[in-house]
Amino acid sequence: MPSERRLHPATILFGLVGQLREFAVPIVVLLVAGSSRGGVEAWTALLLVPYSLLAVARYHTFRYRFDETELVVRSGIVSRNERHIPYSRIQNLDASQNVFHRLFGVMSARVDTGSGTDVEATLSVITRAAYEEIRERVFRERREAAAGADEAGAEPPAEELLRLPTRELVIHGLIENRGMIVIAGAIGLIFQSGVDERLFARLERDQEGSRSALRNLAGQITELAAGADGIVLGILIVLVALLLVRVLSIAIALVRLHGFRLTRIGEDLRAEYGLLTRVTATIPLRRVQTVTVTAGLLHRWFGRASIRVDTAGGDGPQVQRRGRESLAPILRAGQVSALLRAVLPELSLDDIDWRPAAPGATGRELRRRLALSGALALGLVYFLGWYALAAFAALAVLSWFTAARYVGSLGWATVEGAVLHRSGYVRRHMTLARFSRIQAVSMVASPFDRRRQMAQVHVDTAGATGSPHRLHIPYVERETADTLYTQLAAVASRTTFHW
Amino acid sequence: MAPRTRRQACRGRRDKLFSMQPDEPASTIADGRRRSLDPAWIDVQRMARWIFGGIVSVAMAVQFLVRLLAGGAAPWLGLEWLAVTGLIVFWAHFWPAIAYRYASYAVSAEGIEIRRGVVWRTVINVPRSRVQHTDVSQGPLERASRLGSLSIYTAGTDHARVRLPGLGHPTALSIRDHLLPGGTDDAV
Repeated sequence: MPSERRLHPATILFGLVGQLREFAVPIVVLLVAGSSRGGVEAWTALLLVPYSLLAVARYHTFRYRFDETELVVRSGIVSRNERHIPYSRIQNLDASQNVFHRLFGVMSARVDTGSGTDVEATLSVITRAAYEEIRERVFRERREAAAGADEAGAEPPAEELLRLPTRELVIHGLIENRGMIVIAGAIGLIFQSGVDERLFARLERDQEGSRSALRNLAGQITELAAGADGIVLGILIVLVALLLVRVLSIAIALVRLHGFRLTRIGEDLRAEYGLLTRVTATIPLRRVQTVTVTAGLLHRWFGRASIRVDTAGGDGPQVQRRGRESLAPILRAGQVSALLRAVLPELSLDDIDWRPAAPGATGRELRRRLALSGALALGLVYFLGWYALAAFAALAVLSWFTAARYVGSLGWATVEGAVLHRSGYVRRHMTLARFSRIQAVSMVASPFDRRRQMAQVHVDTAGATGSPHRLHIPYVERETADTLYTQLAAVASRTTFHW
Repeated sequence: MAPRTRRQACRGRRDKLFSMQPDEPASTIADGRRRSLDPAWIDVQRMARWIFGGIVSVAMAVQFLVRLLAGGAAPWLGLEWLAVTGLIVFWAHFWPAIAYRYASYAVSAEGIEIRRGVVWRTVINVPRSRVQHTDVSQGPLERASRLGSLSIYTAGTDHARVRLPGLGHPTALSIRDHLLPGGTDDAV
């Protein structure tokens, strides 16, 4: 009879803190917004009693054990819940450890089977040794199941694929510019707290309507710009602000991705990173649905790129926040093919025969952009009056310059075992899906497509929700599209999809 | 044995509905030929759209008349109602017949291919090996016309659920049986 295991006693503490945190925002808002009502603190203290009882009860009722083929998690205070998770179904076993976890030498582990948006079980919190035990158990059982009992045993050696030194993290911070996200978050917080309402109320009192507010603002700027000092000052302020945002972004990158290390252990990839919150994410290679290589303008200036993978299942918001899909937040452009080869050894990606967009696509793209510009300018007439014409002219010139470059950046290719699509000329994306990961293939022809004998081919894969780049190939000649569609559908049906 | 009570009769009908066997074996539907939807689908859609469109049109007419009688609206605003009602007539009566002409499906040993769309014409191919599960459902109007809607679920993102409405209910069942995982080459 396998023995049952319990969580670490610190679970009680973390459970309590976690629950209180849900009240933190309202409490802080109440205090900051200057609620005239007293007794907020006393009210909070009262809440502590049932919650601590609940946390203790939760800790005492939570058990897990390792059966022959499955992980069994029992929980629940009033209604008991016993969950059986077969080892073979476990897709990801992630652990994260924040600063407070570290003080107690514990971590939070998530068992994910890819059944939907939520994880199957969260073991929070357990010791590192316990986590290693679970990992070892789960992955050993799975290897046994996969390769027969004879090959099981010791864990295969870890092969290091990528390590990010501080220098790379600084560049990553510079490029990705996460500082803006933090600032946007701060602004969002301000808006939520109701400060903005007072601000806008005052604005509205001062002027009538947003139009005059705009004009007033423009007037102020002109006034300021009238003196040369004003211009210098304005530019300085903007520059300093931009610099600060970048510095913030670098600091975030250094903290978040500190000591980033990507290793391959047998059929799994493991990423470890983080200074304050230490994350250990495991991505089984067979769960990889698509691989996307992205290089923005700054990436290319620094000779860098980034790689992310979509994995099946568990594409909930938590995962995205934890950034598990990022295989390589940053790497040298020269390392891309080596890493792809390590991740997808069965594909030969050395000489890809890229097929361009259909002839005539540039004209269509230009007309499309002009039409969009026209619509936008029409919308602007209300705000700008006749100046909307100037806006349209500017947009038209922009369309002229960008349409050809965008169409030139388009390309698709098939190699033995996979389909690839690339697009974008400022931010370049290349996405790859193995045939065995294609879920459905579709072909769409809009009236414009039909007029020019073209079609779009869409390749649907699992776990692509929120992907910045999908396998949606536009502007393909009708006959080529037919062939590609038929070929992809046929080859996908010949392969089997494994979860 | 004849049903004696009303309730028994009801139950008998319900049992028949759910235990209805596909009228052709799965192997004959999976011949890769392109088939049209059941023509009864046009009428079912028309009926559903007339019900919805009728409510919208009547509500608009009532609102217009009330405003007219209260002196708050110019009579020419009736043209607005006329235009909307014209659109509704087109959408409810003519569109289902047009859409029907562009909708077809083909089932083969490899999977199912669905064509639809009048303006944006789409072909979707779901390989049989990617079908996670399938549903056949019937709304009240569909039930009256013995139609069924087939829903195919994949692990994909855009096509996590591919719907094929407007099939004869027995046809939907036999396609479902054909696509059902656990057939010949089940390895998932």
